[in-house]
Amino acid sequence: MTPNAASASSGPSRRSFLASTAVATAAVAGGMPLLAACGGSGSGSRDGTTSAKDAKKILPAYVASNVVKPDIPARNGSAIGFTSKLDLATLKTSVTKKLGKGGKVTIMSPFWGSPPKQNNAYYRAMNDLIGVDVVWQNQDGNTYDQKLGAVLASSDIPDVVVVPGWNMNGKIPSAIINKFADLGPYLSGDAVKEYPNLAAIPTDAWQRSLFGGKLRGLPQPAPYVPGIVPLYRKDIFDKEGYEIPRSADEFMALAKEITNAKAKRWACLDMKWTAFQTFGVLSGSEKPLWWNLVDGKLVCRIETEEYLEALEWARKLFAAGVVHPDSELGKNAPDPGPKFAAGEFLIYPNNITQWWSRTAEQATQNPEFKVWGMDIWGHDGGNPHLWADQPAGIFAFVNKNASESVIRDVLAVANVTAAPYGTKEYMMTNYGAEGTHYTLKDGVPVKTDKGNNEVMNAYVMVASPAATLAHPDFPDVAKGQVMWQQRMGAFTKKSSFWGMQITEPGRYTNLGNDFEQLEDDITRGRKKISDMQQAVSDWKSKGGDKLRDWYMKILDENGSAAS
Amino acid sequence: MSHSTVPRSRAEAETEKTPVASGGAAGSPQKRPSGKLSLRLRLRRDRVLLLMTLPAVVLVLVFNYLPILGNVVAFQDYDPYISDNGIVSMLNSPFVGMENFQRIFEDSAFWNAVQNTLVLFSLQLVLFFPIPILLALLINSVVRPRVRAVAQAVLYLPHFFSWVLVIAVFQQIFGGAGILSQLLRQHGYNGLDIMTDPNTFPLLITAESVWKDAGWGIIVFLAALASVSPDLYEAAAMDGAGRWRRMWHVTLPALRPVIALLLVLRVGDALTVGFEQILLQRDAVGPGAAEVLDTFVWWNGVRNQDFGYAAAAGLIKGVVSIGLVLAANKVAHLMGEQGVYKK
Amino acid sequence: MSAVIDKPVKEPGWWEAPPRPSWEEDPSRAGLAGKGLALSLACLAILFPLWIVVVTSLSSRKTIDEAGGLVMVPKGITFVAYKELLSGGQVTRAAIISVLVTLVGTLFSMTVSVLCAYGLSRIGSLGHRWILMTLLATMFFSAGLIPTYLLVQSLGLTDSYLALILPSALSVFNILVLRGFFMGISQELIDSARIDGAGDFRILWQIVMPLSRAVLAVITLFYAVGYWSAWFNASLYLNDQDMMPLQNVMIQLVQKQEAPVGLGQAIKTGQLSGLAVQMAVMVMALLPVAVLSPFVQRHFKKGMLTGAVKG
Repeated sequence: MTPNAASASSGPSRRSFLASTAVATAAVAGGMPLLAACGGSGSGSRDGTTSAKDAKKILPAYVASNVVKPDIPARNGSAIGFTSKLDLATLKTSVTKKLGKGGKVTIMSPFWGSPPKQNNAYYRAMNDLIGVDVVWQNQDGNTYDQKLGAVLASSDIPDVVVVPGWNMNGKIPSAIINKFADLGPYLSGDAVKEYPNLAAIPTDAWQRSLFGGKLRGLPQPAPYVPGIVPLYRKDIFDKEGYEIPRSADEFMALAKEITNAKAKRWACLDMKWTAFQTFGVLSGSEKPLWWNLVDGKLVCRIETEEYLEALEWARKLFAAGVVHPDSELGKNAPDPGPKFAAGEFLIYPNNITQWWSRTAEQATQNPEFKVWGMDIWGHDGGNPHLWADQPAGIFAFVNKNASESVIRDVLAVANVTAAPYGTKEYMMTNYGAEGTHYTLKDGVPVKTDKGNNEVMNAYVMVASPAATLAHPDFPDVAKGQVMWQQRMGAFTKKSSFWGMQITEPGRYTNLGNDFEQLEDDITRGRKKISDMQQAVSDWKSKGGDKLRDWYMKILDENGSAAS
Repeated sequence: MSHSTVPRSRAEAETEKTPVASGGAAGSPQKRPSGKLSLRLRLRRDRVLLLMTLPAVVLVLVFNYLPILGNVVAFQDYDPYISDNGIVSMLNSPFVGMENFQRIFEDSAFWNAVQNTLVLFSLQLVLFFPIPILLALLINSVVRPRVRAVAQAVLYLPHFFSWVLVIAVFQQIFGGAGILSQLLRQHGYNGLDIMTDPNTFPLLITAESVWKDAGWGIIVFLAALASVSPDLYEAAAMDGAGRWRRMWHVTLPALRPVIALLLVLRVGDALTVGFEQILLQRDAVGPGAAEVLDTFVWWNGVRNQDFGYAAAAGLIKGVVSIGLVLAANKVAHLMGEQGVYKK
Repeated sequence: MSAVIDKPVKEPGWWEAPPRPSWEEDPSRAGLAGKGLALSLACLAILFPLWIVVVTSLSSRKTIDEAGGLVMVPKGITFVAYKELLSGGQVTRAAIISVLVTLVGTLFSMTVSVLCAYGLSRIGSLGHRWILMTLLATMFFSAGLIPTYLLVQSLGLTDSYLALILPSALSVFNILVLRGFFMGISQELIDSARIDGAGDFRILWQIVMPLSRAVLAVITLFYAVGYWSAWFNASLYLNDQDMMPLQNVMIQLVQKQEAPVGLGQAIKTGQLSGLAVQMAVMVMALLPVAVLSPFVQRHFKKGMLTGAVKG
């Protein structure tokens, strides 16, 4: 998957990090206010989206980079995959001259997991490579939204603030437009060519970085194939002879077979997100993706039958006692890693990045351990109907009060972190320094403990190359991931507002924020399906229907990306 | 009583109004004649005293009085991001009249918070309140001084723990991975997780409060008990009253005014139920059971940046609270004049 | 110490009961047993959880695994968790921050409160009534979370330790307690000092404060515990994770079960027990309080009750 995945996923944290992957992941993983996501331009009168005509003038030119030819080219919305052995001796250099001018840049970014100490070897090595003194203000990714509002309202905003799309609720879109710089003068059109790695970022992703009619974000491109994979313990499945389920009923039967609470074994964690996928529920990540045009009328995910069916199925799993008790904790659940490794549960849905990170984490301690991704099934045993995620979900913004030299330094950082696979810069960003953060075993880079501690999150949050899956340490995992994406991509459709950066009118931005909580209450048996139906009808009368009209207008004016 | 000090000052406020043992302090002899002197002379005489109160007065004016003006955002669609300073943003945000209040009254989440607040308050009143009284009677009946001292030391201790710590301790006992679940599982039962169960959440909150503060609550009652003259007991004993009859006829009447007073004051504080305590556990059980008025304000303001809306909710709570507190103090005052206060 | 015993005939021995008054019947055996049981249970309910926390924090990973989680019966003691936490990482820094904020904050609060209490201790002094009313009124209302938050932000206190001290520096109740106590001090002493030419500051420092040690100790403890226990202001006003005090770090580590900065990998691969680390952090948070409060205990009653003075 994306390059970020590499380092990101070493973030062990319970809410796996998902760097550039699907936005939805975080939600799954951490129970973020997924629902809270919303596109983001404009406050007050500036809600809406940027028209295609205006966008054309602003978007950076695209210059493909051909440093290394991928072994598996992108198909069906997958990332590009690299599965053959990487010769570290012949790494290319994509940044030929240090662009950094030695200034100091503070970056605030969400961090999932346990952050390393300041001024560690990885940060120093990266700063040397870039020529900029980056100082990280890492914030707990799970409660990032609580901090973000406060930081943006203060007079003391860091030079760069990383904002995931799912945190753009409430008045944050207004803050993005009022507090962050227009990068257009530095990047629009041919200007971007000064930063070749940024020029190689796909236009889809840049399109998503337009806020309030200006280019404000540095994007992390992501594959549009849904990012959440039901991960399972392949080693135990093989040993016990368990079959991969192909329908909702098969899954239930398997789950009951696996579960033996007395022996401290349960089948799975909360499967809500898999349920949504298998029942074909519209994407729950960004709010604009909740909507889709059906027979000339916009339908919202929470209004669909599939939504209720999926919740009911997920509820049945809890009721059947096949879900590990940690899942009851919701947001406060501990990191699934250790208990997954201990075999306390065998299946859990999470970001595709964890496919690799769980593998890497346990590789030295637990050679038997093998995690793999299940294909998503259709609930009735047929093919699944999946809905595409946005092609970029996390953005880095520059403080509008930053001087030109600071902005240039930030772009220098981004130009290094966006270096494609096969370059020295990519290797440094995602694996750290050789000898310190990884060592070579049979020509394959293997992360050291120090590497696992220090090389996570941080630099990968700034900007990244076209979605890439490459794990030189575990090429079979990279292959498995890309092939999974391509198989699932064949079943993935784009909903009406896919690819657009949309800002909902202020009075509606918090509408629907409470649905995720309600979903969790229902699956855990604290509330009933009828409560959800009541909530949906409240939602309609409190503005849901007006919001529908509002979206319809956007569709009339801008057309749809739907496929 | 700024938010951050609520837990501290609430417990204190209860005791503060308990003049049981205030003894001679009230009728202090340090009265300065003021009538005859001119203002200038008094200023000259008292300038050092005034100077001494200055830092405290400034702090209170800035952090308790000045923010009252900020409630203006309750009538605005306040956007904190239109400028770099909160006050400038306040001056530039559009006024929306009573719109925020209208929205609040139509918001089922608000009424849910009101309901939870009242449920938690009633439960604490019924379950928490009697415990310190019983403990005080128990301690008071112990005659060995060392036992009393040790017991008091232990019982007072949790009062000084932070809520973070108290909740963490409860999690170790009653949580999904806690000792209780651990024992149940070892004996073949399913574990249970009281820390995340919304149905029992009000009981959990009350249990935590009891654990933390019931021991501390006995101080007031011990003082009231100490003020009972032993002669009364002796006279009752001479009249043939046994242990229990003495408790009924001497001890409890002595406690009655204090109990009544504390009750009244607690009612005055009804809308404030353990903000920090509940906020720390809101995620674990969900807002359905855990949202109270104070956390509603926090969620909408700090979390959703809907400051106008949150401030409006806060203002409603504030105004109702002032009414309750004033009423309670009025009642307390009346009672105080009659019984508790011995001039 | 306790109420009834304030007029004992003779200091009784360590375990013997003082003589009962002649009119009181001898206690029944069952009554004594019942009382003992009830009191023991109450104390046990408080001490048992603390015992588990302490024991688990001192247990090795192996012991914890064998117990299946929390440890009730210690099997060997190891300080590994403490050593890791105190070797200069996130928790060490947070502990130092908490200690400093508590020290500076308490000193500041005490200074302001004592000065104010003394300044208001003479009824009839200029403005006395008005100032008192101004302070007292704050016990009846709160400006609200949001306006206070906006104010602190507008004052530029975000990401400053002042935000942990100033907004909550004063407890009007504490000032009233101090004032009540100061007012009870013999006027003759003060008058004679004044005749000797002492000013108010000197009277406060040399006469009033030495006579008020007990109440000063209690109020100091109240303030210190308040600062030590506070987490909400830090969560609201501090954005820099590196500035967080111990309580906030405890929320992350214990409630959210995250690994301390730099120790994540050691816990994940099993070199260190995550549970022991959590418990060690809890012990660090409770230790100062548990050690200090019993010393001040005998003054509590005095401290809590002398403040009750009608404004």
